[in-house]
Amino acid sequence: MAPSLTRRLIALGSSDPDRAERFLAARELDGIDEEVLLEGLAVAPDPDGALVVLVRLLEKVPSLRETVDAGLSRSEPLFRLLGASEALGEFLIRHPEHLDVFEAAPSAEPQGADPVALRASLLRSVGADPSSARPLASRTGADAWEALRIRYRRHLCELAIRDLTAASPADFLPVAAAELADLAAAALEAGLAVARAEAAATFGAEAVDAVALAVIGMGKCGARELNYISDVDVVYVVDADEDSGLDGSTVLGIGTALATGLSRAVSGTAREPGLWQVDANLRPEGKDGPLVRTLGSHLAYYDRWAESWEFQALLKARCIAGDPELGRKYEQAVGPLVWASAGRDGFVDSVQAMRRRVTEHIPPAEADRQIKLGAGGLRDVEFTVQLLQLVHGRADESLRVRDTTSAIAALAEGGYIGRSAAAEFDASYRWLRLLEHRIQLSQLRRTHLMPVREDALRALARAVQGVMETGKASPEALLEKWHRTKRSVRELHERIFYRPLLNTVANLSPEEAKLSPEAAQGRLAALGYRDPQGAMRHIEALTAGVSRRASLQRQLLPVLLDWLAQGVDPDAGLLAFRRVSEALGTTHWYLGMLRDSAAAAERLCHVLANSRLIADLLEVSPESVAWLGQEKELAPVPLDAQWQEIQSKISRHEDPSARMRLVRLIRRREILRTAIADSAGLLDQDAVGNALADADQAAVLGALRVAEDQAAARGPLLTRVLVVAMGRQGGREIGYGSDADVMYVHRPLPDADPAEAQRQAKEIVTSMSGLLTQPLRPAVLAERVLQLDADLRPEGKAGPLVRSLDSFAEYYRRWALVWEWQALLRARPMAGDDELAADFMRLADSVRYPERLSPADLTEIRRIKARVEAERLPRGADPGRHLKLGRGGLSDVEWLVQSIQLQHAARHPELRTTSTLGGLHAAAELGFLMEREASLLAETWRLASRIRSANVVWTGRASDMLPSSRRDLEAVARWCGYSPGHASALEQQYLQLTRRTRHVFEERFYSLSQ
Amino acid sequence: MNRQQEFVLRTIEERDVRFVRLWFTDVVGSLKSVALAPAEVEGAFEEGLGFDGSSIEGLARVSESDMLLQPDPSTFQILPWRGETEPTSRMFCDILTPDGEPSPADPRNVLKRTLAKAAEMGFTCYTHPEIEFYLLESDQLGPDGAPIPIDKGGYFDHVPGGVAQDFRRTVVNMLESVGISVEFSHHEGGPGQNEIDLRYADALQTADNIMTFRTVVKEVAIQQGAYATFMPKPFTAFPGSGMHTHFSLFEGDSNAFHEPGAEFQLSKTARHFIAGLLRHANEFTAVTNQFVNSYKRLWGGGEAPSYLSWGHNNRSALVRVPLYKPGKGQSARVEYRGIDSATNPYLSYSVLLGAGLKGIEEEYELPAAAEDDISSLTSAERRVLGHSPLPASLYDAIGTMEDSELMAEILGEQVFEYFLRNKRQEWSEYRLEVTPYELHRNLGIL
Repeated sequence: MAPSLTRRLIALGSSDPDRAERFLAARELDGIDEEVLLEGLAVAPDPDGALVVLVRLLEKVPSLRETVDAGLSRSEPLFRLLGASEALGEFLIRHPEHLDVFEAAPSAEPQGADPVALRASLLRSVGADPSSARPLASRTGADAWEALRIRYRRHLCELAIRDLTAASPADFLPVAAAELADLAAAALEAGLAVARAEAAATFGAEAVDAVALAVIGMGKCGARELNYISDVDVVYVVDADEDSGLDGSTVLGIGTALATGLSRAVSGTAREPGLWQVDANLRPEGKDGPLVRTLGSHLAYYDRWAESWEFQALLKARCIAGDPELGRKYEQAVGPLVWASAGRDGFVDSVQAMRRRVTEHIPPAEADRQIKLGAGGLRDVEFTVQLLQLVHGRADESLRVRDTTSAIAALAEGGYIGRSAAAEFDASYRWLRLLEHRIQLSQLRRTHLMPVREDALRALARAVQGVMETGKASPEALLEKWHRTKRSVRELHERIFYRPLLNTVANLSPEEAKLSPEAAQGRLAALGYRDPQGAMRHIEALTAGVSRRASLQRQLLPVLLDWLAQGVDPDAGLLAFRRVSEALGTTHWYLGMLRDSAAAAERLCHVLANSRLIADLLEVSPESVAWLGQEKELAPVPLDAQWQEIQSKISRHEDPSARMRLVRLIRRREILRTAIADSAGLLDQDAVGNALADADQAAVLGALRVAEDQAAARGPLLTRVLVVAMGRQGGREIGYGSDADVMYVHRPLPDADPAEAQRQAKEIVTSMSGLLTQPLRPAVLAERVLQLDADLRPEGKAGPLVRSLDSFAEYYRRWALVWEWQALLRARPMAGDDELAADFMRLADSVRYPERLSPADLTEIRRIKARVEAERLPRGADPGRHLKLGRGGLSDVEWLVQSIQLQHAARHPELRTTSTLGGLHAAAELGFLMEREASLLAETWRLASRIRSANVVWTGRASDMLPSSRRDLEAVARWCGYSPGHASALEQQYLQLTRRTRHVFEERFYSLSQ
Repeated sequence: MNRQQEFVLRTIEERDVRFVRLWFTDVVGSLKSVALAPAEVEGAFEEGLGFDGSSIEGLARVSESDMLLQPDPSTFQILPWRGETEPTSRMFCDILTPDGEPSPADPRNVLKRTLAKAAEMGFTCYTHPEIEFYLLESDQLGPDGAPIPIDKGGYFDHVPGGVAQDFRRTVVNMLESVGISVEFSHHEGGPGQNEIDLRYADALQTADNIMTFRTVVKEVAIQQGAYATFMPKPFTAFPGSGMHTHFSLFEGDSNAFHEPGAEFQLSKTARHFIAGLLRHANEFTAVTNQFVNSYKRLWGGGEAPSYLSWGHNNRSALVRVPLYKPGKGQSARVEYRGIDSATNPYLSYSVLLGAGLKGIEEEYELPAAAEDDISSLTSAERRVLGHSPLPASLYDAIGTMEDSELMAEILGEQVFEYFLRNKRQEWSEYRLEVTPYELHRNLGIL
């Protein structure tokens, strides 16, 4: 049994078979063999659309049925065009006299139309003589405009037919794009002839004829790679014949009239709709500048005023219509300007801004439908090609071509990109352009978006296939191929930019591109390396030789170089990478990780180019690079586990400095682990503070054990020692490179002599603090030693370094000053005897949470704070930028929290915490601060802490200042989570938050009202 | 080297210019100048001119005192009062940090930022100032402790043979020769008081022009054996010197303040703009009226506006909408009458425009227009009508500004902070002073 009509319609691609069946029954189709019809519809990209237009055409021109009746050999062009372009179908319905376009025999390998013939045809349509030097139309006004447009669209039909019946539309694409540009140029030429005729009425025929106007195509039209429909970018150059006797302003007046007249002829309102917009906004001074200029005026502008990007736009400039002599002069004059632009100041910046623009500014709703914008889109290809042209075209004239496909070919030919990469790049570009062409052809609308509706997608999938292609075209396959192409364009980026750099030094393979050293350095500089010579040396070292590592790095370096270039300091990153790589040399996991884990390699490049601290630590402990590949290795090691490791390690050694070395290595390792996890965004700020505090605590535990063992070796132990953490260490809120504030407590054993015990305790703590800082052999490289600072003890520096618990109790009972109560608020046992710790904390609680704080005490705290503000700030430091002691800085927040704790913690146990953020939270819960105030203070405190850490991470050195230099600020801003280029935003944010915080602080802390 | 820079160098060569002065303005609005030998100009164009910013008011953080001056070649002018024998010229400069970024503490940059914000909203800003000043016999005080005015004329008086006539003519000629167009000039209300109105121009250019204007006026006065002062209120008995400024916003080539048929032909944009000025006036008064003396003008009666109010052609209101002339839609504008002649024009225009733009952005409601003479109302009436007073003293103004998020945003955190510090200092110095008032009033009886 023969398949039903419905099934056959579905099989040939109909999306709405019911409707198609109704149209098949239309009166106009009576007598046409259904088989012939179905055979024809099967080749139409959109059979439903083609059928509807066909019926309407037959209604107007019954004789068309002969073409249909003759079968596919004659009707294929008809069905393909009607099924690919509803807009051109409508045109043929409006102007059926042009149905003869279907009479030309289709070719599998079509040629482009002759530009001279196109020009002549369009000129004749308005009654102008193509052989005249300045053709003058015999028709004017709407009559001429319509004739011009109808002729243009006829040629457009002819081109579309050849395009749609080509065996390989991708091969034909550059030809089609060039013909579209030629056709546009011809239309402008005819428009100019009309404008001349119209202007003659105002200015006199003789005057108009004495004025030369050259139409310079910019953008895609200039490059001869136009789309089916897009604005045509132009600028105008005007000149008058020498003997014309016209004054300058008349010449400009006539030139302007010609320019506006030709634009009107092409796009003004008339019965036959306009073709496209003639866009002259790329002219000097843009919209505000005069529409036409003399050549001298153009050059003066480019000499004096033009911005970097304007020169890049000139890369595409070409005379497309009007006076060829004048046009050639223009081209010759501006050409050199383009190629000098890569040497201008700010070129690298403008390139980087351009690159960001490729991916930014896409409306979110369009993001996954954009063919043109976004990473892997057409703009991305064009940007890459143009950048390489500008960098290398200064020295190599063979690259000075306008259109993208020729430029890719020239770059490959000149050895600036690899041949296989070039081939792939070219194929991707052509395919994306083909998609764009087919989408635009359908409605002749300027769009760069993938269709959404399934039937439109199906028609598109069929339209991009060549006539010989037999594969099933489905919407899914189309989208799949599109995504694949986008991905490939994105990945080709590194192969195209960076791989040829390697060949300069490493001779990868003869068929790959090879750059000269000068070209390679020029390219590195354009990509953001400040010392391209040094970078080349590192690349050479990394890729030289026959080792497995070198060969693997030859493979990977192109990607790595790109990742490094995105960091703040690519040069330092590359150097650090070289060191790490040399240290790890042949270890198999390192090579495996680089090869198999792109995420790990990217993370490595990121930390190396953005953090001196991490780079230094990785250089001396390269085995830690392994963590980058394993997220679970980046989780902080709990204190218990660290302590166990320390115990077992020191149990195997006798010599105190050998034991201490192991302890300090563990601390260095944990700091690095935390920093890497931090950079990867695996830890929040509170977790970072905790992890760093744990690493310090473990080291202090180890040092205390070693010191006690030392004492025990000299005689019996007479006392128990306790190390109490104070300050931010007590609150477990430290940053990288913080000192540890501590106090030392001891309690003599029951039968020991108190004086002897005191002496021994002092000996133990002195030796412990020395063990943590003294130089060791072999040295612990790149370590930031842990300084213990005991200045917060009773009586400060004047008091004894260590006191017995009884002495503490006595002191606090009789003498303690209110600032000492305050200092105790963040006391936390860190290392030592547990029982002693419990007793000491009981004592501390009785002091730091007083039942009542007298007004005099409160005033004293305020007074001390006021004095600290005035005196402690380093000389010459800007209080607005000092993170710790500055206006609204860390200490403002901490003092405010502590003053609340001193006043109220006795009655509100929720306030009893050593953590500043915890205290803030509790104070807000209890209503001592407003919610708004507490969250402001918390935000400021977090940001200031984060910047302090970022200072260490970026420079490897501690600093309490918000950096002033832009580069430092940029690096710090990135560590604080700002996107590249937002250094000033961080600065403003910090200054604003601290100003507001100071406001709250002054109101809450200094105000007399309770 | 671009063509404009070349033009400067060529002019220096051809006119045999001996000195090139680089001009810039500190945060309080004093003009600063560095003279360069012509040979050094080229280097200054290329690399900027390094200088120690730490000793300039408000410029630098002490930690990085090195700054760069980047001359703006489009502002190059020969200074006419230096004569033809050894021509001297000047250029305005942008101040850059050592990394070549615009310094956040450069008042010119503050205004540029504000104008960029306006541009983002689609506006270009034009301003035209009416600058009042006194012409005195010298900068020495008379026997009664008051300055000595050069004549005894009054508003629009023609003083025959007076220095003032001649003086204004010379000033106007000189201004024209440095490219500043003058709209209007006349004798003002006080003896020796003059007013010169500059033609409207883009706000940045106007601010540059005001700085040049002050220099020209002072130079010409000296040449004529007199002394000119822009002090807000030099005489207790006579009116102060204001700098009423007209603002207009353009969207492309059409005036955004004009709407035919609306009340006073004022568009919604204009109404929001005025509302912005009024809502934030107290916050920015410390900038527009920045000296202790400024408040003697604001509260000294006469035409000085002391209450928040606006009116259509009401000369007692703080914001005045000038009488609309039919067919002159393009000249629709708003006049702010609070500014005094000693302000830093870059900062004043920034805060005024910033406040107006805020009004537009947030669509502030405009209260009803004042129709009466505000100063003749009783204070209860003013309260009822919502005309609250402007700050009574520099001290009050500082206090209000300190709490203003908008001012911090417009000026940038650095200028904001520095400005306040500087003004607090001025206030505390003033407070120490024993004034003639106290001596006259108290010495004899206490």
